[in-house]
Amino acid sequence: MNGEIFNANPTVYASKRSTRKSKFEAGQSLWIDEQYQPELSSESEVEPIDEDEIFDLIRSIADPEHPNSLEELRVVSAEQIEMGDNHIMVEFTPTVPHCGMSTLIGLSIRVRLMRSLPQRFKVDIRVKPGSHQSELAVNKQLNDKERVAAALENSALVETLEKCLEPIGGPHSR
Amino acid sequence: MDVDLPYRLELISDLPGHDERAWQVAWNPTKPLLASCSADKSVRMYSYRPSDHGSKSLAFSHMGTIPTGHTKTVRSIAWAPSGKTLATGSFDSNVGIWEREDVSDSEDAGETAGDWECMTLLEGHETECKSVGYSSSGTLLASCSRDKTVWIWEVKPDADFECMGVLMEHSQDVKCVAWHPSEEILASASYDDTIKLYIDDPSEDWFCFSTLSGHKSTVWSLSWSPQGSYLASSSDDLTIRIWKRVEEHEWKSVLELRGHERSIYSISWGVGKGASENLGWLTTTGGDGKINVWEITEMQHTKDPLSATLIARISGAHDVNDVNSVSWCPRLEHPDLLATAGDDGSVKVWRVVPS
Repeated sequence: MNGEIFNANPTVYASKRSTRKSKFEAGQSLWIDEQYQPELSSESEVEPIDEDEIFDLIRSIADPEHPNSLEELRVVSAEQIEMGDNHIMVEFTPTVPHCGMSTLIGLSIRVRLMRSLPQRFKVDIRVKPGSHQSELAVNKQLNDKERVAAALENSALVETLEKCLEPIGGPHSR
Repeated sequence: MDVDLPYRLELISDLPGHDERAWQVAWNPTKPLLASCSADKSVRMYSYRPSDHGSKSLAFSHMGTIPTGHTKTVRSIAWAPSGKTLATGSFDSNVGIWEREDVSDSEDAGETAGDWECMTLLEGHETECKSVGYSSSGTLLASCSRDKTVWIWEVKPDADFECMGVLMEHSQDVKCVAWHPSEEILASASYDDTIKLYIDDPSEDWFCFSTLSGHKSTVWSLSWSPQGSYLASSSDDLTIRIWKRVEEHEWKSVLELRGHERSIYSISWGVGKGASENLGWLTTTGGDGKINVWEITEMQHTKDPLSATLIARISGAHDVNDVNSVSWCPRLEHPDLLATAGDDGSVKVWRVVPS
């Protein structure tokens, strides 16, 4: 993980104000599954979730290489999220086409959504077409549930992942 | 449930219990026992017997849990043909071999016998073991891993194992191994989108004699037809393929089936209950939560050698969750019984009944 910096000087963009304050940003538990389980609040009603809400969940994820959020680096955007019937497609744009951190970024997006959303959502994650030299390999790995499950049992990787998932400016941010 | 199909899937038993995702189910070939494994690192055992009300219905009960001691997910389980030994393959890269103390040979040994004990731990893989399987004679065990290798072990007396070969044919993770139902032919499926077939050269080592290409993404699961003249595969490309043996060492893709909207994680080919001239029932399941059952028939006078008819289907088999494993009961008295394991940590048992 350490050593080579894949993009030493990324362009940083201002982040927009959130239309709504996500519970995550409001400083509640990092493990927000319970608060976000609509089943718990209303037995039968299925709470609709839109693209902006998904974006609010992932915009604050820290880039593994830079002291910036994925939103500030334009790695993620609301326009790159597609909602279907219990299906979410999140596209992200690595800052450089040889970015070796892409699978880690994709994995952190997947974990954030996994921890935040009701189980009924099937999530697909892919890099923006043409934005990465190993596009197919990155996409395949991010959407292989067995590989994802095994990665999440790798303590070194999980430690790195948790740093990306901490709020920017939190105690361990660089 | 699709009402226009000739059969439907009736839920016989819902067996929750795993704390995390259940990855695989495996029926004991000789005893009324069903095992499941999970990311919670345990194996759960269920026994079954005819229930008190109704001759056809079965009652399942939890009869024990093996904590296993694996330090990571137990991804795969396989019974030896004797039904006395269980193998576990774990993300901790090891394969465990389990036998029960004081096993009596009586039919209801399932309910009475002692604890399951780890007889041997097979170390060799460098990374996650993803699948394990015994050959039909029970003398060979195969395992595969993300380390791209397939290992073949000889099963010796007293839980002793000797490595007969390490096959490094695949260029990516090996997802599944499956032995031919009567011959010593091994098939493996991989993240590299191919299937490889292996045999033992008596004067040399095990070697790959054929590569089956055609799938356009990861091949997740394999199942031989009960007679062994066909091999079925399921893939992330959302297709199921059936490969026919056209020569002793040559297999050709003869049929491609569709019927799932997400990765097809598991496939199982059983004898089924239809007409005797058909090739049995094929069942598939996956990330879309559906279970499909197809009747496979050999065609005599048409261009395509096989035909497949969807005879039963259920959606949301494990509610909103992915279904990771499906398996026909191998016992002759229950050719219409199958079990599934899902991301909800539960195991379900289904019977295919006329609509």
